[in-house]
Amino acid sequence: MADTVQEFVFNLTFPFTRTLGSTLSTFSSALAQGQIIGVRTGGRVIAPPLEYDPDTAADSGTDWVRVGPKGTVSTWTWVPEPTNLHPLDHAFGFAFITLDGADTPMLHLVDTGSESAMAAGMRVEAKLKAPADRVGRIDDIIAFVPAADPSPSEGAGEPFVAPEENDITEMDAYCDLQYVDNASPTTIMWAKALMEGRIIGQKCPQCDRTIVGPRGMCSVCAIELDESHIVEVPGRGVVSNFTIVTPTPYPGQTETEPFARCSILLDGADAVIAQQEILDVPVSEIRVGIHVEVVWAPENERSAADIDNRSRGSGGDIIVGWRTTGEPDEPAARYLDRMM
Amino acid sequence: MSHQPVAIVGIGQTHHKRKRADVSMAGLVREAAQRALEDANMDWGDIDTVVLGKAPDFFEGVMKPEMYLADALGAVNKPMFRVHTAGSVGGSTGIVGSHLVSSGRHKRVLSVAFEKQSEGNAQFALGGGKGASIGAGGAFAPFIRSYIQRSGAPEDIGWMVAVKDRLNGAKNPYAHLKLADITIDKVKESPMMWDPLRFLESCPSSDGACAVIFTDEDGGKAASKPPAWVLATAMKSEPGWYSGRDPVNPQAAHACAQEIYKAVGITNPREQIDCAELYVPFSWYEPMWLEAHEIAAPGEGWKMTQSGATALDGDFPVNMSGGVLSSNPIGASGLLRFAEAALQVRGLAEDHQVGGANLAIAQAYGANAQFFAMWAVGSSLNPLG
Repeated sequence: MADTVQEFVFNLTFPFTRTLGSTLSTFSSALAQGQIIGVRTGGRVIAPPLEYDPDTAADSGTDWVRVGPKGTVSTWTWVPEPTNLHPLDHAFGFAFITLDGADTPMLHLVDTGSESAMAAGMRVEAKLKAPADRVGRIDDIIAFVPAADPSPSEGAGEPFVAPEENDITEMDAYCDLQYVDNASPTTIMWAKALMEGRIIGQKCPQCDRTIVGPRGMCSVCAIELDESHIVEVPGRGVVSNFTIVTPTPYPGQTETEPFARCSILLDGADAVIAQQEILDVPVSEIRVGIHVEVVWAPENERSAADIDNRSRGSGGDIIVGWRTTGEPDEPAARYLDRMM
Repeated sequence: MSHQPVAIVGIGQTHHKRKRADVSMAGLVREAAQRALEDANMDWGDIDTVVLGKAPDFFEGVMKPEMYLADALGAVNKPMFRVHTAGSVGGSTGIVGSHLVSSGRHKRVLSVAFEKQSEGNAQFALGGGKGASIGAGGAFAPFIRSYIQRSGAPEDIGWMVAVKDRLNGAKNPYAHLKLADITIDKVKESPMMWDPLRFLESCPSSDGACAVIFTDEDGGKAASKPPAWVLATAMKSEPGWYSGRDPVNPQAAHACAQEIYKAVGITNPREQIDCAELYVPFSWYEPMWLEAHEIAAPGEGWKMTQSGATALDGDFPVNMSGGVLSSNPIGASGLLRFAEAALQVRGLAEDHQVGGANLAIAQAYGANAQFFAMWAVGSSLNPLG
């Protein structure tokens, strides 16, 4: 029940897209073909290439150089217990590896099986995914492994001729983030009251404003409000303003048709509750001044799971929406400026 | 507090597009910065410190991009600042840059602001990653409904702004939208997006960046092209939400305007200011901001639009660049306003130049219309004589 509303787990997932620009496109397209490259700039070879000299910010140009696939570990750290976010499912090393033909190290994995096999100065070589599985991402190199033959890489340091057009110019960057937010005392009070079918606010003792839902403070007087300032307000009010949104598609979008979200000034309250849904008025007939009353979910269907610290008056799954009372509309001019 | 005079000697921006598929994020900011360096006749090594601004990191899904972009912007071994004040961030980024010079701490400062909106989705990000995001248009639509009601403005004012700004944008080679054939009818017949805002009354979603180089009085006087002088800056904030707040007429907007006018000696903004770049992402914000920044009397802003006063050839041109309605790389949008005001007083705005512009203002706002940034720039340190 409401007592369990102590924390909220947020899952943010989104398929971001990166455009690579000409330098990284050249690198990625070559990598997908099994060739690692760098760029010669400022008298040294930077690998992987950057579009600018990191010391001076000057353009790096297009003097591409073949590097690797073998290289030398300059320094490393060991990951004994990888998490699900690590690229390998068993213990491995992160290392700076200066590829043959390059003057700067790149960060990558070294898969030796044991920490005792890791050493600065060790010779390693890139283990690539099968050609059909390569997409030009840095993990096309699964890991570096101890080189069977420590001799210099063949062809390293020689010029690389880039194709006129690169195959790979974009890359997905999938975000999958989970985090936990702890419920604030006022959020817990709000959720508990809703579960009991009550709408509450806090009345500021200084300015006498009643703020719904409670925020633990009065933003006008800048003073803290607590449990002693809680007041109950009726589940009835007037639509003070609204927005009709034509939904645009995006990953996670739930709407396909225009929908209305209303601000409602509850009777006896001094602050509106925003983004409320009116259930029995078609979107095209939403207007300022309509009298509405709350529609509660049946008690056995109420859940406070969707009420978080940022809800600020949202009824989550407990308030299904609002319906008209049938009383005559109030004059719009009296309510229209009540946006907050 | 004593301030050193600050000159703007370099301005650069990218070509803004829905998607700049040809550049990385680093390439995008470098394109703007390199144009500013070229304009200032400087090289990366001449810059003492870099200020980077952009809107929420979740727009692109790159956390703390200032870390990834530090060397791309030549900030190695130099101070690097990140600014974030939501939609007003571009303005704030310019102001922070100017303060680093006016305080006497640095001699040459590069401010860069950007957004690469095509890498993510702003509706998604503004909706906290959930469905049914109302987006910026949905958040501002009630404010606009309230403005229309209280001002008694006719409904075509919004359409007029949409047409005027797009015609200006068509003269700006960097603008995202160049809608030279836009008409009132086309705006009026475009789909309703966030009632009462129609599609063509709304800003686009753009990839783009803007860069501005600030220097001291000696640097300004020695510049090869005419500088713009930063005459006054102001930033104000207010809580985004409280009982009785009036987002149509925010206290922070008035406070910004009053501080700027007092510092510059402006007593009659409409007469004394030659042109203005205001942050107008939705058409009705032009009249609303003309009033909230005390250029027009309460309820009179829309009459300036209606009479043509805010057109490029009017007596108080607004958004000569085409404004946010023509290009909207969100994080850069504020700095683009500030940069256009500077271009105007430098006399370098080419086809969208206001003849004889000596004193210009620029403004930006952000979040729930709660962060405000504003500056005044002049062709000399004392354009009012």
